[in-house]
Amino acid sequence: MVELALLIVGALAFFVFPDDLGLMTSIVIMTLFVLSLSLVLGQAGIPTIGHAALYGSGAYAAGLWALHVTAEPLTGLAAGGLAGAIIAALSGLLLLRTRGLTLVMLSIAFAQVLFEIANKARGVTGGDDGLSGLTVSPVLGIFRFDFYGRTGYWYSLIVLVLSYALLRRLVASPFGLTCRGIRSDKTRMLAIGGHVYGALMTVYVTGGVFAGIAGALTAQTAQVVGLNSLSFQQSADALVMLVIGGTWTLAGALIGAPVFMVVHHIASTASPYHWLVVIGLLLILTVLYLPKGLIYLIPAGLERLRDRQGTHE
Amino acid sequence: MNLVSLLLNILLDGVAYAMILFMISVGLSISLGLMRVVNMAHGAFAMLGGYITIAVMNQMKVPFEVAVIAAIVATAIISIPLETFLIRKVYGRNELDQALLTIGIAFVVIAGVNSVTGANISVIKLPYYLNGSIDLGFRSLPTDRLVVIVLGLVVTVALWFFVERSAFGVKLRAAVDNAAMAEAVKINTSRLYVISFALGAALAALGGIAGASLLPMEPTYALKYLVLFLAVVAVGGHGTLFGSFLAAVILGIIDTATKYLAPEYSSIAFFATMLIVLAVRPQGLLGANGAKS
Amino acid sequence: MKTLSRLMLAVAAAAGSAIASPASAEAVKVGIIAPFSGPSAIFGQYWRAAMDAYRAINGDTAGGQPIDYVYRDLPGPNPAAAKALAQELIIKEHVSYLGGIVYTPNALAIAPLAEEARVPTVIFNAAACSVLQQSKYLVRVSYTLPQVSGPIAKYALDQKLMNIVTMVADFGPGIDADNAFTAQFTAGGGTIADHERIPLSTTDFTPFAQSAKAKSPQAIYAFMPGGPSLFGLIKAYQNNGLAQAGIRFLGSDMDERDLVALGDSAVGLESGSFYSASHDSDVNRAFVSKLPPDIHANPASVEGYDGLHVIYKMIEASKGRSDPDVAINAAKGLAWESPRGPVSISPATRDIVQNVYIREVMKVATGVINRELRTFPAQPDNCTKK
Repeated sequence: MVELALLIVGALAFFVFPDDLGLMTSIVIMTLFVLSLSLVLGQAGIPTIGHAALYGSGAYAAGLWALHVTAEPLTGLAAGGLAGAIIAALSGLLLLRTRGLTLVMLSIAFAQVLFEIANKARGVTGGDDGLSGLTVSPVLGIFRFDFYGRTGYWYSLIVLVLSYALLRRLVASPFGLTCRGIRSDKTRMLAIGGHVYGALMTVYVTGGVFAGIAGALTAQTAQVVGLNSLSFQQSADALVMLVIGGTWTLAGALIGAPVFMVVHHIASTASPYHWLVVIGLLLILTVLYLPKGLIYLIPAGLERLRDRQGTHE
Repeated sequence: MNLVSLLLNILLDGVAYAMILFMISVGLSISLGLMRVVNMAHGAFAMLGGYITIAVMNQMKVPFEVAVIAAIVATAIISIPLETFLIRKVYGRNELDQALLTIGIAFVVIAGVNSVTGANISVIKLPYYLNGSIDLGFRSLPTDRLVVIVLGLVVTVALWFFVERSAFGVKLRAAVDNAAMAEAVKINTSRLYVISFALGAALAALGGIAGASLLPMEPTYALKYLVLFLAVVAVGGHGTLFGSFLAAVILGIIDTATKYLAPEYSSIAFFATMLIVLAVRPQGLLGANGAKS
Repeated sequence: MKTLSRLMLAVAAAAGSAIASPASAEAVKVGIIAPFSGPSAIFGQYWRAAMDAYRAINGDTAGGQPIDYVYRDLPGPNPAAAKALAQELIIKEHVSYLGGIVYTPNALAIAPLAEEARVPTVIFNAAACSVLQQSKYLVRVSYTLPQVSGPIAKYALDQKLMNIVTMVADFGPGIDADNAFTAQFTAGGGTIADHERIPLSTTDFTPFAQSAKAKSPQAIYAFMPGGPSLFGLIKAYQNNGLAQAGIRFLGSDMDERDLVALGDSAVGLESGSFYSASHDSDVNRAFVSKLPPDIHANPASVEGYDGLHVIYKMIEASKGRSDPDVAINAAKGLAWESPRGPVSISPATRDIVQNVYIREVMKVATGVINRELRTFPAQPDNCTKK
């Protein structure tokens, strides 16, 4: 079971790298964000480079919730997920009736407009100074967010594992099959009587929920929300992470995000200058020689994943 | 300022901005429309045009005009191996793969330029006849802006002629619509692709040089302004020459008008316009209905 | 008996201090968080070069303590990444001091860590007024907008420029600059004909220049971040006839990098800033001489120099690494001759108090420089407490 493996790997990482919890928490959160993108883009074929709109909305929602309503974190997660869903519904109205380059450009434009609105609304969001002054109370009243990041790490990891379990079930269900059908051939789906637009909206909003939850996690663990969470850079990074891991199965996100972030961290520390060359070459090589992503390098897991995770022929 | 001069200002500055956008975006429109390739490295070609001009002027001490021609030719030449060995491999693959491959190329170009020039902006030293401004009576317009407007119009007409009327253009459109058929009538499709790609890169280089007063040369140029160029192509309708022209004019004028009338919202104006146009007409202003997007 | 107990106390004290103090001079670790890649890579590169220049002049040890530097790349505003990097530096690398930081959201994310772990942190740049209030272990060596804008307003009034249009970037520092300038300027009887807020992503400044010109002011007060934005604004000022119409340009900085790009066309532009590369002092000349040829002496690089100076002094005062409170107290009230001129750290705000200079661009044999016209001495940060 992938979820169990995930938990075990996460626990191992905790004990093997106890001083790197800050970085590892970011990796876990990014993995969840890329997972939501995998659902939307990998499963349903919606080519969005504006997914950060949903992530950032979740982050700001959770931040504002903590500031103005209650510092309790689990309700903050719900607030983030709800915000992600609402923004997804709004942008879905615009995007989902289009496809290809038009959809891509619309997704970028929507996210940019949202970014500028957040920038202008300094009174609410803090503008480019960021939303700060958040406090987050202990999870379940017991686990305080400590300085070393231990609580933050386990909190995020458990949310990731639960989310993956939920999404996997969704993807393996008949609904998941519908989505993949749409991705392969929208016209045919319409011809056989599928409610394409409704299905797309459902999967997109679901993606929005999990992107929003990822955003909420970032707001709660960092305790500052920056405009960067809504930025084009954020969307583009997530896309690159997904492609490297593999877009065709949900589990691609589980590989792509950690690989990208670890390589980034190492390259950055060694020579930040040349990080761009590394990622550029990685992209080129992946597209040319590993189009299905790194996950297809795992032969054993491959078979089981292919059957369970919902892949494409 | 009174209403008339306000309107004139908006028109003048809007069209100048639009022409710069068009000049750089038109090459992207060609590769997308004629060759169906999403080329995110397009901005890198524009950037190379500017940087090679500067390098040639500084290192080889040649006059501006010679440097410009050399830069455009050099950029076209650089694009050839990129097309043959890398980009050709993703013709026919989905847009995402094409976009990511070309973004990867752009990253490498940015890193290369960064290592040579550092993170500063570099300026092209214009010759004396392009410096300064022309007095139009009610205001002055920088000379290089006027040149850009004229150049943009000339390029549009020349391109239209070339693509719609010339033998080359006919063959190219044939090859794109049905490669197998084109090959069957002895049209050398690979050579066509290379030449079109190089043409697109050359146009990008020209646009980069022409627009350098507005969009100064810096290593992140390649991706920083890419969204603007993509917007012009998407709003115009993929691959239509006049569509890109129209889109550039509309986006340029609306952006400029907002800067004059409601500057607080000018950052949103460009993208909001794009949103509205594409929501109402997803195929773009002049895109064919139901065309492959 | 008394003698014996006194002797035993003395031995115990000697033994105790021998155990407590480091056996050998183990290196003190300093973590620097800055952009070394991406569009703001200038800051990281310039800071590092300036720190090397400081060490070339002042030696590699602070009070005999050798220092290890750990650099981490943070390309842009990203509070989550800032926090993770600070955690890594404090927990894994065991740094005793932090330095660097360009962007306010990053500073705000790091502040609680500095406070909880008690790590003295020198902010090299993040200029928002709210930053230093977040932790008592933060010190700043850059500037604030109220600090620099006030003197420019006073200068404008002195020059009898009573009608001004402000053109500022539409983000935190720009808005702060506009508010601070306006407050001082209108208090002295001036009028602001228009406040132009220019989006950061603007590439075409012509409409803003034309609008400003149409209001017929006597000058414009401009604030844009150095680099393409400032360059574009100045070009628009020059190309749209504002200078010919007699409208003066008062900038809130004229970065030496931009001067190189502008060349002779910049002659005559006036600005206010805390540092000019041409500042006439031995300390400055020494600093400039030690910078490599591709690194300009400008406000960014001098931040690196002074930031390291404060770190050195904190290390000296705490004789190693174990006393954050001693270190911070040593920083408060610290005064020294910086390449910018005489500076000090305010004990109350932990912010830098420095001269603000009004300069004019002038042509000299080697190119164009900012020549200091007038000095406003010892300006405090002027942040109003919230």
